Amino acid sequence: MFSELIDEMPLDSSFKFNFSAKDNLCTIDFQTRAGSKILDGYRPPFDATPVRRLRRAGGLLVGKTNMDEFGFGTFCTNSGYGVPRNPFDIERSCGGSSGGAAAAACLLEDHISLGVSTGGSISCPASFCGVVGLTPTYGRVSRYGLVDYGNSLDKVGILARSSSMIKNHFPTIAGSDPMDPTSCAQPALDLDETQIDSIAVPREAMENIHPAVMDSFLRALDIMRDRLSIDIHEVTVPSLRFALPAYYVLATSEASTNLARYCGMRFGVKGDDVTQHFNDYFSSVRSKNFGKEAKRRILLGTYSRMVGFRNRYYLKALSVRQTVISDYARVLKEHDLVATPTMPFIAPRFSEIERMKPIEMYRADFLTVPPNLAGLPHISVPCGYVDSMPTGMQLVSQHWSEGVLLNIANMWEGVFQYRFPGARQ
Amino acid sequence: MKSETIEEVARIARLELTETERTEFSRDLEEVLEYFSMLDEAPGEKEYGLNPVEILDMLREDEVGQEIDPELLVKMMDMFEDLVRGPRLV
Repeated sequence: MFSELIDEMPLDSSFKFNFSAKDNLCTIDFQTRAGSKILDGYRPPFDATPVRRLRRAGGLLVGKTNMDEFGFGTFCTNSGYGVPRNPFDIERSCGGSSGGAAAAACLLEDHISLGVSTGGSISCPASFCGVVGLTPTYGRVSRYGLVDYGNSLDKVGILARSSSMIKNHFPTIAGSDPMDPTSCAQPALDLDETQIDSIAVPREAMENIHPAVMDSFLRALDIMRDRLSIDIHEVTVPSLRFALPAYYVLATSEASTNLARYCGMRFGVKGDDVTQHFNDYFSSVRSKNFGKEAKRRILLGTYSRMVGFRNRYYLKALSVRQTVISDYARVLKEHDLVATPTMPFIAPRFSEIERMKPIEMYRADFLTVPPNLAGLPHISVPCGYVDSMPTGMQLVSQHWSEGVLLNIANMWEGVFQYRFPGARQ
Repeated sequence: MKSETIEEVARIARLELTETERTEFSRDLEEVLEYFSMLDEAPGEKEYGLNPVEILDMLREDEVGQEIDPELLVKMMDMFEDLVRGPRLV
């Protein structure tokens, strides 16, 4: 689960807490490879802002966690540096792309993991590994020092065993950073407790879900109704159906642009033959060192942006995103939260994943993608155990209202006990 | 998807694809693009931005400064004397 780990724990007890950083966050004293062979050997000369802020607050960075290459994946099976195994069942996936982060948060007590979400890469592994994962509003946490996947979609967040652990450290990483302009229009963070009266459940999110997972989710809603006195309302949000294709168009388009910088010149791996013409030099390094999924997404994104296709795909996707944002705003005016299961199934076995086609893997994200596309903050909390595997519930709130999410998660922890694998107590 | 199309996309993206990759990715792209075509019937707003939230332009004073130690950067590059080495231009 770690792509790089500290050699020895320092004897110095001045550190107040331990944390790990997903390997797409730049760190001075560890390599930063974002799960890709093309960045092998890359040692950034600076720390990403979230890392720097946690260190300044007394955090000890113990290592970099493994991830799908550049964030491309739902099962953490696309890393150039091994595949992390689910702490509950080693034949099963950790989820992705912050798979290592979720595994570390699950197995290590008193540990918080920095993760990153573009389309659900904090929620998914949090659900599969039975931990809490907070994905803040887009722009709440600085992305300075984050290896870009999709600039209008990436968010840095936290995974941990409980919401109170997240609440303790979230204010440290949140807040404007002049080095990331997209973090500078945020209102003040408000983590005060609020009244939570009503949760909306979209009908569109209740289909194509494994029956046992749906069962857990419905039982969780019953608990919220009976023990927390929260009203549950079914609503309809028709644009949710279109969130997934819109997301993949935007994400692959942005990714294909962002990955153009990896050409054997400035970061990581260099080409071996400088007598080649530069186009051949770039193509050679890229073809040898990008994984299959990276190539697939680069091709998809490049195609979507090409003259003749741009209007149909890229511009349409932008306008669909706006519809999704408006629809959520409408629902969240009447209700405090939107709830769905986090993933449509429990962590799959590696043998099952091998048989999945790319389109099937993309469609597994249909529950996590909508809030990610809309830049809305969301939290995944364990809400049940199916065949001894955890399953999660995802709660979404309005832009900038992370306090409501930490509040509901805290309330939830008062009425539901999380389980962790026996291992390291 | 026509073979010329995937080749053109790969050329623009600076990727050399093997025969097998060309066939496989062609098929994958077709399946995914078929799925993307759902967007044709999607409701879309007329006004939209590039970001999901409002962002501000952040400007700074026009003062000379260096955030990162140039020595560190030089160590990472393939140098020849004090020149950075790269692939052939012509």
